Amino acid sequence: MSKGPTHTKHGITRRRMLQGVGATGVIAVSGCLGGDTDAPIDVRLEVNSDNDDRVQMVDLIASSLEETGYFDVEIEDYEWNDYTARVMDPEYAENGYVPCIGLSGTFNPESFCNALHHSENHGQCCNLNGIDDPELDGMMDDARYGTDVVEDTDLRRERYDEIWEYLAEERYSSITHFDLVASVMTTDVHGFSTYPFSESLFSYGLYAPQDEQVMWIDESAHPDDTDLSDLEEGGTLRIGAAENPDSFDPPYSTDTTSTMVQEFVFESLVRSDVDGNLYPWLAESYDLLEVNDVDRTDYEEYMITVDLNEDGLPETDEQIIVQHPGDDPADGEVRVLTPEEAADAVDDGVFGMQFRYDIREGIEFTNGEELTAEHVVATAERYENSDLSAQTYDSLLHAREVDEYTVDLYAQIPDAEAERELPGLAIHSLEQADLDGDEEVLDPREDTEPIGTGPYVFDEMSDEQYVEYVRNEDYWVTDHGVDSFEWFDGPADFPDGPVIDRLELEIVPDNSTRSGALQDDEVDITYGLNTEDLDGYDDSEDYVVDAIEAGGYEYIQYPMNVEPWDDDRLRQAVNHLIPRESIVENVLNGWARPAWTDLPELAEENGTTDAAALEDDIRPYNEHDPDAAEALIEEVIEDYDLD
Amino acid sequence: MSLRRFVLKRLLSIVPILFGVSVVTFALVHLTPGDPIDQMVGVNPHVTAADEAQLRARYGLDEPLWQQYLTWMGNVLTGDFGQVYSSGLDVSGIILMRLPETVVLGIFGWVFALAIAIPAGIYAAVNKGEFADTVSRFFALSGISIPNFWLGLMLILIGALIIDLWPVLPPSRQPLYHPEMLWYLVLPGITIGTAAAASIMRVMRTSMAEELNKEYVTAARAKGLPERTVVLKHVLRNSLISVVTLAATLTATLVAGSVVVEVVFNWPGLGRELIEAINAREINLIMAITLFTGVLIVIANMIADVLYAALDPRIRYE
Repeated sequence: MSKGPTHTKHGITRRRMLQGVGATGVIAVSGCLGGDTDAPIDVRLEVNSDNDDRVQMVDLIASSLEETGYFDVEIEDYEWNDYTARVMDPEYAENGYVPCIGLSGTFNPESFCNALHHSENHGQCCNLNGIDDPELDGMMDDARYGTDVVEDTDLRRERYDEIWEYLAEERYSSITHFDLVASVMTTDVHGFSTYPFSESLFSYGLYAPQDEQVMWIDESAHPDDTDLSDLEEGGTLRIGAAENPDSFDPPYSTDTTSTMVQEFVFESLVRSDVDGNLYPWLAESYDLLEVNDVDRTDYEEYMITVDLNEDGLPETDEQIIVQHPGDDPADGEVRVLTPEEAADAVDDGVFGMQFRYDIREGIEFTNGEELTAEHVVATAERYENSDLSAQTYDSLLHAREVDEYTVDLYAQIPDAEAERELPGLAIHSLEQADLDGDEEVLDPREDTEPIGTGPYVFDEMSDEQYVEYVRNEDYWVTDHGVDSFEWFDGPADFPDGPVIDRLELEIVPDNSTRSGALQDDEVDITYGLNTEDLDGYDDSEDYVVDAIEAGGYEYIQYPMNVEPWDDDRLRQAVNHLIPRESIVENVLNGWARPAWTDLPELAEENGTTDAAALEDDIRPYNEHDPDAAEALIEEVIEDYDLD
Repeated sequence: MSLRRFVLKRLLSIVPILFGVSVVTFALVHLTPGDPIDQMVGVNPHVTAADEAQLRARYGLDEPLWQQYLTWMGNVLTGDFGQVYSSGLDVSGIILMRLPETVVLGIFGWVFALAIAIPAGIYAAVNKGEFADTVSRFFALSGISIPNFWLGLMLILIGALIIDLWPVLPPSRQPLYHPEMLWYLVLPGITIGTAAAASIMRVMRTSMAEELNKEYVTAARAKGLPERTVVLKHVLRNSLISVVTLAATLTATLVAGSVVVEVVFNWPGLGRELIEAINAREINLIMAITLFTGVLIVIANMIADVLYAALDPRIRYE
C-alpha cells in the first residue's frame, strides 16, 4: 500500500454507522458453493487466502449471489504474492474473473477512482480487469490536471461529482466498505491534540503524513471532562507498537510504524488537518505564483534519449522526472527528462506551476543548523531514486532556492494536487541530506541518529524491543508560540510545544499480547487490535477507543471485457447483491463503514460539492436490493440467451 | 571404535547434513511465492513493473537460482549472511543478538521439562496402576494435547492479569543475563517445556516400568538392597537411556515451539524474528535462522548419540 497523505477523523460514532444494520446474511463456507446447479451465469470470485476478513467477505458476496438462483459461484483463493502477480498481469482481464482486493486511499479523491479505473493502471496496480474507457479516463484527468481545476476548486468538485455518477451507472467495480482503524488508550491518556490537525496522537502520528505537534497526558480527568486547564505536563507515554520500525529514513520506508517514528522527528513545509485543509508550517506562508498551460510533451526539447536494457528499464542513474508519453518502449529507447534538464526547462519558463514558500526564520535542526531554502533543495534531491521517488516525482519538477529563506517548488503540469503533494518532503538537515540511502543509511542502528526540526528527539533503542524519544527542548514552536501561526484560532491556553517528556515505543507484534499489556497497564495506548477485542474496550469505562477512517478500502472488479459482463445491467445487478451492511457487521464486527458512494469522508473536501446530496444520489445504486437485481438479470439473460 | 573416533566421525557427518539443510532451506524459501520486493512494493499505484525490476536487479534477485545459491553459500561460508532488505541491517548481527535469547529460553524450558518429567515418571512407574499414576498420565496427555499458544495466553491471563505476579511484557531494557530475568523466564519456560515434559514423563514411566520387571531387579531386591537403591541406582540408569535420546530429539520441539512462545510472550528471540522475517519475505533472514536452527538440532542429536554411548557401554559403533 502506498504511504500517502492519509487522514484521521475523530468522533465517527460507530453506533450511528450501524443504525439500520439488520442481522442479515450468514457466513457461508466456501465448500458449499460451486455445486452442480443449472444457474445461467457462472461467476468466479478470486481472493488472497491470507486475509481472513477478505475471504469471509467474498463468501458473503458469493452466498448472496447464489441465493438468487441466477449464479453458479466459484471461489478461488491464492497466496498473496501469487495473487498480486496474477491479477496485475495484463492478460488477467481476458479471464472473466472477479477479483477482490484492498487499497489505501488518501485525501486525493483520485485515489478512489483512478487506481481502479484508469486505463494507464491496467497491468499494474490496480485496474485488474483492464477497464479502458476513454471517456472516464478523460474525466479523471480533467478533474486533477489542467489550469481550470487548479484555479477553480469548485469546478474540480463538480467534475468529481460527475465521475461518481458516471461510475454508479457503469459500475466497473464495487467498493464494499471503508476501513476504520482504531487506537485504544487508557483514560489516563486522552485528549491528545495537535490543534487543528487532529484530536489523537495515533490518528495523526500513525496515519497522516504530518503529525502531532503538541500533546499531553491528563492523569486525572475523564475524557468527557477534558479541559485545557487540567493539563499536566511531563510524564512518559508508553506506546504498544505492532511492528518494529523498519527504517528511520523518510524516503526509504513505507510502513506504518516507520512513518510514525519519523514524524516525531521530521517536519514539512506545509501540514494538513483532518479534512485535508493545508496550513503553512515550516513555511510561514506560500503562494502559487504562476500556472502555465503545459503538458508533458512540452518538455520534449529538453529530454534526452536513453536506451532500454533487457528488463525494459531506461539505462540511466538519474531520476526520471518525466518520460515522454508518446514513446513506445518496444523501440528500445525512450526520451526522458532528468533533474538537470528539468532545471533548464524551468530556466526557460517551461513548467506547469510555480509555488513560492517563505521559510520561517529561526527554525533550528537538533544539530544546530538553521533551516534555509538550501535544506529544501537538498531534501528534494535526496528523494531522487529513493523508495518514495515514484510518489514524489509524480508531480514535482524542480526545487529552486530563491534566497536564504525563500524556495520555489515547480510542478510538471497544472495539477490540482500539487499544492498538497509538492511540499510533502520531510525536510532533512544538510548533514544528512547527502546520505545515499544505500550504503549510508539514516538509521540509529547504524550509528546515524535522525536529525530533524520536530517536537521529539531520538534517544535510544534496542532493535525489535523498544525505541525511545525525548522532548525537543529547543523546539521552534515552543520558542515562537502557537500564536505565531497566522491561522491559529484555537484556545488561548493551548500549549506551545509538546508537553510529554518521553515517548517509549514497546514493540509487541502479537495482537493478543499487546492487548494484554494494555490491560495490565504496561502500555498506555496501542492500535491494530483484533476487532473482536475492540468491542470489549469500547464498552469499558476504563478505555477510550478512537476509530478513524484512514483511507483503506476493499473492492471487487468486474471483467467488463468478457461477455456478459460487458453489459452494465449485469454489473449493476451484482452490485445490488453485495450485502454491504452485512459485510461490515458480520465480517468486521461493525468496525468499518459501508461504501454507499465511492468517496469516503476522507476525500470529501475536494471530491464533491455536497457529500450528503451525493450520497442521496448514489446510495440507491448500491443498496442491497435482490428484487432490483432480479429484474436486471432477467433482461440480461433474455438478451444473451443465457438459459 | 573408540568413543573419540565416534565423536569425530559424527562431527564429520554433520558437514553433508548441513549442506543438505542449506539446499533444502534455500529451495523452500525460493520456491515459496513472493520475495522481499513484492512485499516492499505491495499494492502501490505509483510503482510500475519497471520500478520493480530495477529493485530486483539492485538486490541480485534477477539472477538464476543456482547462481543465487552459490553466491549465498559462498558468503555464508565466510560468515556473511547478507542483509535485511527493508532495513539494510546485517543478518549475522541480528542472529547473534537473538540467538542467546532463544538458547536461554530453550535451556530453561528443557530443564523445567526434565525436572518435572523424570521424578514424575519414576513415581508413576513405581506406583503403576494406582491413583497417582492415573493423575500423572492425565496430566501427561493434557500436556501433549494443549497447544502452546493457548497455554501461553492462559498463563499470561492468570499469571499477569489475575494474580499479577508477572508483567505481560518481559522487561525490554534488562540485559538477558541479569539474574532477575530468571523470574521472567518462568511463564514462557513452562509453556515451552510442558509438551516436552509430558512426552518425557511418558517414556520415563514406560521404560522404568519395563525395567522394573526385569530379572536383575528381582535379584537386586532378593539381595536385600533397599528399594530406593534398586530404583534410583540400578533401574533409573537403565531406563534413562531412552529418555536421553528422546530429550535430545525434543530439542527440535523446543526450538520449533519457541516460535509460537516467543511471539506470545514477546520474547525477542530467533523464533519471533523468524515469524517477522517470513511475514516480510526477508529471505536472507529466513535462510539464516533456518540454517542456525538446523545446526542446533544436528548438534543436539550428536550430543544425544554420545550420551547414549556413555550411558550404555554395550553399545558398539561400527
